[in-house]
Amino acid sequence: MMKELKEHIIRRVKANFTEAEENNDFTYDRLDFTVKKEVVPSLLLFLKEEMGFKHLSHASCVDWLEEGELELVFILWSPKDKIKVFVRTRLDRDNPVMDNMDNIWPQLHTYEREFREMFGVQFTGLEAPDEFILEDWQGPPPFRRDFDTAAYAEKTFWHRPGREDAQDVRETIANRDGEDIPDFAKKYSR
Amino acid sequence: MREKATTLYLGPQHPGITGNMMVRLKVEGDTIVKATTEVGYLHRAFEKLQERRNWLQAFTLLCRFCVPEPDPVEESYARAVELLEGREVPERAKYIRVLMLELARMGAYMLWYGGQNGSLGLYTMGQWSVGDRNYILDLFEELTGGRVYHMYIWPGGVRRDLPEGFADKVLRTMDYFEKRLKDYDDLMFDNTIFQKRTQGIGIVPKEKAVEWGVVGPILRGCGIKSDIRIDDPYEVYDKLDFVVPTHEGGDIWSRALVRREEVRQSIRIIRQVIEKMPSGEIYNKIPNPHKWALPKGDAYARTEAVRGEVGMYIVSDGSTHPRRTHFRGAAYVHAITLLEKVLVGANVADVSAIMNSLGTCPPEIER
Repeated sequence: MMKELKEHIIRRVKANFTEAEENNDFTYDRLDFTVKKEVVPSLLLFLKEEMGFKHLSHASCVDWLEEGELELVFILWSPKDKIKVFVRTRLDRDNPVMDNMDNIWPQLHTYEREFREMFGVQFTGLEAPDEFILEDWQGPPPFRRDFDTAAYAEKTFWHRPGREDAQDVRETIANRDGEDIPDFAKKYSR
Repeated sequence: MREKATTLYLGPQHPGITGNMMVRLKVEGDTIVKATTEVGYLHRAFEKLQERRNWLQAFTLLCRFCVPEPDPVEESYARAVELLEGREVPERAKYIRVLMLELARMGAYMLWYGGQNGSLGLYTMGQWSVGDRNYILDLFEELTGGRVYHMYIWPGGVRRDLPEGFADKVLRTMDYFEKRLKDYDDLMFDNTIFQKRTQGIGIVPKEKAVEWGVVGPILRGCGIKSDIRIDDPYEVYDKLDFVVPTHEGGDIWSRALVRREEVRQSIRIIRQVIEKMPSGEIYNKIPNPHKWALPKGDAYARTEAVRGEVGMYIVSDGSTHPRRTHFRGAAYVHAITLLEKVLVGANVADVSAIMNSLGTCPPEIER
């Protein structure tokens, strides 16, 4: 039954989107289509309106640094047929541009804002403030693979003067103000 | 005559807010004409940090996405890894996982009882339910060593078997809750203030609910029967007998009625799990974690949590570390695009109650 349903969906998709590459081995509870980025909005709309995939379960962005590409993945669920479908596309990592699709599912608006900020994907027609989660961010999109979190933290969050080691803060304050260390604190000072 | 609009900032520090986020409200008189969710107070880059951890190390961080109910996150990650690798999980471990998930659901609903009533100024309920939640945390502590974060459901099964006499303790705790829930009804659902403050408030339109990405008790509170445990069953939910409650109305009251019944269904499930749980192994051992590489590919596993669908999308490039882990929380949709729509036309005094009712959880937005 599930196999017939999958074959039916694949036939319908291939009839309407001849260039869609399908990667379905029928062992998983899902279907999988890869298309060019220009086709994604039409395919998503087709799956939603014609094939019953009403629920956008998830969307994700993956950085394939070595291949010079970003991958967008949309995971849809059909409440009627109880089946998932993955829709994938690849974007040029140096110029990742994609059409805005929040008119298909309003919640895609949030995903697009996050992918723009964290991966640098530009969604043409997306009307939203530039900042979503980050504030005054000047660096590269931080969720890309070549963004080194450890190096960034070392460079940005330096040790405050007087706190280079595990020094007692009361000693630092006393030294700064030219005061004696209180007796009760002396036993903790090094 | 049109009144002059005023901007109010609810949060990020406010007793009525449900975590580290802000809702910017444009109000005319007491009526909200525009609401905007503002986030950015909480991002911890958990998903980015996964890239530096191996597949086993990753799960210790992932459960920290959600304080009230971390277990569905653990479970969805473990199952995504198992899906990708094709690893079988022993039957007993699946039953124990369901036991954990349902106890977690009850614990999270105890917090919801407190939050929902607290947002309306009814504080006694929270004193009771948060106190009662400790009986569930006691069980977690005995089983896993941790009260809030458990790190117990891991790829391949669960970390340890039930201790001696644990099943009896669980059943005794369920007996207690069955009696106790009647007190909750008296205090909350029979309370005129609660009824008046929730009926007809914070309505999610049924005809738009699926398209807007509404899930879980919020969707069921619109009269739509949808539950991943039934629709896309995982672990051993397909072997258990339980009812998915729905209520028409789409308001806070309907959602509260759904949750009220779901606590009772959790008790029913837990009793069945204890009765049907087979003996046997609890863990299909993974190889040395430092050399444990998953096959190239991706997987998405989703779990029914108290707020609705939570899921884990993982991508492997064939190495010992994740290429990408991406968490899907229900609040990612409920607290932004849904909340911004539902709040329009609402009274300022109802904002906190609506946020609680929609399961707003900022850590699911900023992971």
